[in-house]
Amino acid sequence: MLEKFLHGFVAAAKIIGLNYSFLLSDYERIPWLSGIGITILLALCSILGSLLVGVVLAALLASRQAWLRGPARGLIELLRNTPTLVQLYCAFFVLNMLLNQVLGGAEHNPLTPFHWVVLVLSLHYGAYHAEALRAGIEAVPATTREAALSLGFSRVELLRHVELPLALRFSLPALTSNLINLVKSTALGAAIAVGELTYASLMIWVQRDNVLELMIFIFLIYAVLTYVVARLGRALENYLRMPGYGH
Amino acid sequence: MPTTETLSLNHDADVLVALKNVHLSFGDNKVLKGVDLRVRRGDAVSIIGPSGSGKSTLLRCINGLLRPERGEIRVGETAVHRLQSESELIALRKRIGFVFQQYNLFPHLSVLENILIAPTRILGKDRGETEREARELLARVCLEHKADAYPGQLSGGQQQRVAIARALAMHPELVLFDEVTSALDPETVGEVLAVIRELVKDGLTCILVTHEMRFAEEVSHEIVFTEGGEIVEQGIPAQIFHNPVNARTRSFINALAG
Repeated sequence: MLEKFLHGFVAAAKIIGLNYSFLLSDYERIPWLSGIGITILLALCSILGSLLVGVVLAALLASRQAWLRGPARGLIELLRNTPTLVQLYCAFFVLNMLLNQVLGGAEHNPLTPFHWVVLVLSLHYGAYHAEALRAGIEAVPATTREAALSLGFSRVELLRHVELPLALRFSLPALTSNLINLVKSTALGAAIAVGELTYASLMIWVQRDNVLELMIFIFLIYAVLTYVVARLGRALENYLRMPGYGH
Repeated sequence: MPTTETLSLNHDADVLVALKNVHLSFGDNKVLKGVDLRVRRGDAVSIIGPSGSGKSTLLRCINGLLRPERGEIRVGETAVHRLQSESELIALRKRIGFVFQQYNLFPHLSVLENILIAPTRILGKDRGETEREARELLARVCLEHKADAYPGQLSGGQQQRVAIARALAMHPELVLFDEVTSALDPETVGEVLAVIRELVKDGLTCILVTHEMRFAEEVSHEIVFTEGGEIVEQGIPAQIFHNPVNARTRSFINALAG
């Protein structure tokens, strides 16, 4: 059934001059399809990781303690002001090598290139999330804060039950934009040979010289993935909408 | 109705709130210039006076939102002016309800959750029992049918009644009302005042900053007239409204009547 469909598709594409015959070779098709899976997995892990990093950094930025605020601000500036690719190289070629030495050889190091991509994307986009959430926290009216404090909320309870829930709503459009960028940035994994979609495609076109054919697929797949993220973001905005507030 | 008999019962044990020589400035602006005030348990005291006379600031000093530069503030056994740590301030604020001019409900929570959040999250009370009580409080402010509505869907008067229910859910021994009807449409002022009237009748200690003179005269045991950061005159409503001693009080009252 599947084989019949693939043969039909490859034959049809050939008519308009596109060479998709790699789909008929298990040796090429299977790694390429798993590349799509790895891209999705990279995106999911990095989305969760970046949101976690973003909330923690935003909470530190909102702190009244300068010794918490200062380092958080410094880390955010570092993460935002250097290229993601350079951060990934630095993590993989410097930190990972150091870790190998400390652990006495690469075979003892449990971290794979996949982990490093997730880590770097989580930190990088976490810094952007933190700034978006900071804008949201600053948009919480001082009077709302006063009301919570008057009820006996501690600073932490205020952040958890009032400031962050409201900040999330205010900054959701910005967070969604960050996450769309994050999905596209998973392609950086190709730089350290993580077998995600871009790298898996590269492996095929260096053999077959069918760059255009693969580019069409790559564009379509990233477009679908980012569209799903955008739709989910909008759905969450609707779900979290505060009835009667500002609409 | 307040009478001179209730006023003469001036034992120290009855005093819940005592301010002594409280000073506070914002920059060069001296907002409080030596305020002395005593509020007895079960009394309703209204603070009246022109805008900018430090009335709201006074309330914020009592629950520790603002710290006076000089002077003493006591609420029951607690020396508010000496409180340092966050946990000490929290312990104080759990005992004091605060109702704001702009209601300040949490817009992302339903009416019921607005009332439940502090007792369940801050006091750690059991949700089932607290929810039953919250619904009783909503019935008391005639809003039991709005439990699942959001603040943005309610009128100002309804929001303010929810805010009162939210304060009462903490079982405060004192409630501070900061111009709670000033942001309301005239037709909804009455429904909020009716709720406060009941609370005073039930013996809840209240300090009200208000511009509703008729209401203040009707419910208060004592009226405090402030101007320029000082208490100019205080006494029973009949005295302040009909027979003020001080010339400034007289001109303020007469201007309102005129």
